[in-house]
Amino acid sequence: MSHLFDRENVDVAWCPGCGNFGILKLIKEVLEELQVEKNNTVIVSGIGQAAKTPYYVDTNMFGVLHGRALPAATGIKMANPQLNVVAEGGDGDMYGEGGNHFIHTVRRNVNIVHVVHNNMVYGLTKGQASPTSQKGFETKVQVNGVTNEPFNPLAVALSLRAGFVSRVSIANAEHAKEVLKAAFLHHGYALVDIFQPCVTFNKTNTYHWFRDNTYALEDSYDSSDFNAALGKAFEMMPMPLGVIYQNKNSGATLEENIRKSGEPLYRTSHDLGKIQELFESY
Amino acid sequence: MTVEELKQYDGRNNAKAYVAYKNVVYDVTQSPLWQQGEHQGAHNAGIDLTSELLGAPHGEEVFKKFPVVGTLEEASQKKEEHSSSELLKTHLRLLYKKYHPHPMTVHFPIALHLFAAGFDILFLAEKKDAYAIGVFYSFLVATVMGFVAMVPGMLSWWINYNLSTHYAFVVKLIVAAITLVLGVIGIGIYLENPNIVYDYSFLGVTYHAIVLLTGLNVIILGYYGGKISWGNLGEEKMQTVSFDTNETDVMMAEGKFHDVDYEAPIGFSTPTSSVKAELSAKHGVEETHHVSISILIGGAAGLGIDTLEKILSDAFKESGYYVFSTKEFMSRVRGGSNTTLLRVADFPLQAPCWEVDVAIALDALALEHMKHRYKKDTVIFGDESFNEKGSDMIAVEMKESAKKFGDARYANTYMAGLLFGVLKMDKTALMQSIEHHFKGEGANKDVAESGYETGTDIAIPSLPQLPRLDNDAIKKLHLMDGTTACGFGFLAGGCNMITAYPMSPSTGVLNFMASMSKEFDIALEQSEDEIASLMMTLGGWYGGARAMTSTSGGGFALMGEALSLSGMTETPAVIYLAQRPGPATGLPTRSEQGDLNLALYSGHGPFPRVVLAPGSLEECIDCGYLAFELADRYQIPVIVLSDQYLADSIFMIADVDFSAYEEHRYIAKSTKEYERYADAHSGISPRAVPGLGEGLICAVGDEHDERGQITEDYEMREQMVSKRARKAALLTQEALAPTCKGKGEIAVIGWGSSKGAIAEALERLDDKRLSHVHFAWVHPLSPEQLSVLDGYKYKIVVENNADAAFADQLKLHDIHVDDKILQSNGFSFFADQLTNMIEKSLKELS
Repeated sequence: MSHLFDRENVDVAWCPGCGNFGILKLIKEVLEELQVEKNNTVIVSGIGQAAKTPYYVDTNMFGVLHGRALPAATGIKMANPQLNVVAEGGDGDMYGEGGNHFIHTVRRNVNIVHVVHNNMVYGLTKGQASPTSQKGFETKVQVNGVTNEPFNPLAVALSLRAGFVSRVSIANAEHAKEVLKAAFLHHGYALVDIFQPCVTFNKTNTYHWFRDNTYALEDSYDSSDFNAALGKAFEMMPMPLGVIYQNKNSGATLEENIRKSGEPLYRTSHDLGKIQELFESY
Repeated sequence: MTVEELKQYDGRNNAKAYVAYKNVVYDVTQSPLWQQGEHQGAHNAGIDLTSELLGAPHGEEVFKKFPVVGTLEEASQKKEEHSSSELLKTHLRLLYKKYHPHPMTVHFPIALHLFAAGFDILFLAEKKDAYAIGVFYSFLVATVMGFVAMVPGMLSWWINYNLSTHYAFVVKLIVAAITLVLGVIGIGIYLENPNIVYDYSFLGVTYHAIVLLTGLNVIILGYYGGKISWGNLGEEKMQTVSFDTNETDVMMAEGKFHDVDYEAPIGFSTPTSSVKAELSAKHGVEETHHVSISILIGGAAGLGIDTLEKILSDAFKESGYYVFSTKEFMSRVRGGSNTTLLRVADFPLQAPCWEVDVAIALDALALEHMKHRYKKDTVIFGDESFNEKGSDMIAVEMKESAKKFGDARYANTYMAGLLFGVLKMDKTALMQSIEHHFKGEGANKDVAESGYETGTDIAIPSLPQLPRLDNDAIKKLHLMDGTTACGFGFLAGGCNMITAYPMSPSTGVLNFMASMSKEFDIALEQSEDEIASLMMTLGGWYGGARAMTSTSGGGFALMGEALSLSGMTETPAVIYLAQRPGPATGLPTRSEQGDLNLALYSGHGPFPRVVLAPGSLEECIDCGYLAFELADRYQIPVIVLSDQYLADSIFMIADVDFSAYEEHRYIAKSTKEYERYADAHSGISPRAVPGLGEGLICAVGDEHDERGQITEDYEMREQMVSKRARKAALLTQEALAPTCKGKGEIAVIGWGSSKGAIAEALERLDDKRLSHVHFAWVHPLSPEQLSVLDGYKYKIVVENNADAAFADQLKLHDIHVDDKILQSNGFSFFADQLTNMIEKSLKELS
């Protein structure tokens, strides 16, 4: 593989053995294999270890606040529908702090790829429970183990009629790559929830754990069947991996709905004469 | 160390950078603020800065952190000369600023040389003695005056432009010298033999050529003089920090938006003039009578008060009167008790009054609600069924008549007719207005007619008599609320994206933009919360839009972190913040100027921002436009502060020429080497957008290096902090000066929406001691502009809040505030009440 999307002179901040390395490689390979233009692609990320990914990919990048990658990505798409936009971050970032934005971005059907590194733990803050932590998971804060119901991103996205809902595991990289590619090619909002181990703070959900508790959906699985997808979204131990649901005609995207044209807004201007005319009608 | 030795350490070409202060020499080589031996583009290393520090924004404490490397030799003659010449220069500059000797004197040679040349052409056509004599004497005086003008011109070149060798100065010098030499030769030729002008000998031809050539010369001189005074090159030299985009190889893209460099002036030189100025200038409207009548209409939400307000204000305007209206209402959709105040006058109105001449009750509850605003002779109208025992209400058959025409909702049009009848107005304008609003539907006109008939039979001698005005100039004015005017300002500023969460009283702007999205390519989305609003707006700017959000205090509080992100990532943002009284939910539908501190201090970590607070429709448009220009140019958040009163009140405005609002886009086309945070003198790194050009745009909220990668390097941190701070320093130079009206020694100082009420209160007081100082540009305040306040003996600050936040800002600038007039009861200031408050304050001061 070439290193087209490698960013030079960077100091990668992840722990050795982190699942993020695999995801970084995956992203770079997919961008290259799909022949995506660097300068027409933006990765938006929030805060967290996962959110550092775009610092190591050689494309445009907007690094924002914890939980706020999705509305920023939405704004970029509104301003310039011609850009490829990816929103990337971890489970705490996207499902916790940014949970409300997750719901409404799905509803809007913004044409972005939403990549969530899901390691079921908070890494950057050193090991607290995340919204997807399994019940009973003990941390320095959840000293008696997690008692809250884990957040189910697939079911939530499905309930909001997301057009592309998928889950992969970095323990099965080849499979993950195919799904990620499909997400890039989907027209409309696409969720890719990626299982990833945190080697430092999550001694429960390890590479082995993910391998043992997941399975790839069979080829015979019909991803256009919404009811079947709902069932798959709630399937636990083992949890299914792959494109859980895809609606290839998921309707117009936000930018198609609210913009008169697909022109980037840096290129358009208002007709002052028309403003004058409207003002004078008062 | 001697002064000469010190000069070696100028920091250039890897030399050490030393500066002297009070005879101590410091080593500033390591400071990021002294890169290449230059500090803020204004000061150089290698010299004694003792005198220059006087003009610096900081004191001598800054030297403490630098290592001392020696002392400057005391008795050095040169040092004395240097600092004394610098001081002399400073003094001269002040004098020059005050008297402008060069522009004053240079008119004479220019005019006379042109005159001489013109007359010489006449002479050549028709050889009259008088022409020849005229030519000579004007040429003579022109040449003499040329010498006179050259002295202050050279002086200015030295004190204002540091003997700049810019080509404009060089051309001027050469041409001026030629003109003077030719002048002397010409005069010589003529004095030798005046008859030479008649023959075509060598000397004769030379004489005429000289006269004509000098005429041409002064045109060239005038052209470059203008360029120096008004063009950018003059400012570039005078600014303490100059804009500088040359440091990166950013190419401006093709297309109209991308050829704008950061030095271009914002295309907005004269703020739109007020209705009053506009009218008196254009139409010569005289205000002889000064009669006004105030009408308060009360009733529950849903009874059609707003409709009545619209019908009546249009009708009065079309009758040729000035109108103003404002409303106060409860936070509910139906019921409660609300009022609308309508003022009609033969002079421009720009504020509400508390006491009213006429009160119209649409339900019984309104009588109770309105009674606090009655004066002795207030005329009260209500339905006969309200059955107010012992009240002065004039009972009319409002409900009966409405029912007679088939719908109880006709009550409001009935009252409109009644009012016009009582005031003995011509009903034509009213009928037209009703026709216009209801598009001929229903029996509205008949009901109004019936009310009018009843009204004409009611005679109330105590009511103020409005003179028959029927002023056509007034009919041409536009009626709109502050919300709409702000909206037009944003549009003029090129707003093409808005993301917002509805919140009173800001929602009007979102509504306005939504209606405009049918006319223009505007991307609009209602967000899930205010955090998303501002984040989408930032995403929009990052992607190349001119985006904004609208909110009120509570929503703006949620935006704090995103505001900070705007500061760190240097992503522009425009935020329309319509204030309402807090804390928390406070009084959701009422008015206060209570969020100034929130606007000034929200967001963690220091970063530059601008806060604008319009006080009139004209300022709404200007501030709306300016917000986008400033945000884009400086890559900062700009907050436009309005409030419920300004947003919802209807004022009049004259025609506005929107072609005066020139839109610039400060977007650079990127090259492969593009770096988003390239260090620039001005602190403004060229901003590129993804997809335009080959570069990559990395904007991040972590501290970053020049390309936008996360860094924790302390030197880089200092460099970036300094870069952002330099933008803040530059911003003050853009500040709109406060407007000062009146020549009195007591300043009544206000900001934002209180402008109209203060203006009317001062008119009512008619006290020569009083002046009105109004700030529409609230932050950052320019110390230079604030110096105007030093001229007032007493300063009274008027604010529609409890914390006197603006007075505190003035105090931060060492301005003494003698008295504060504050109000935070949910109402904006009423002109009549404010008059009394100022009067009371004056008594206390004297």
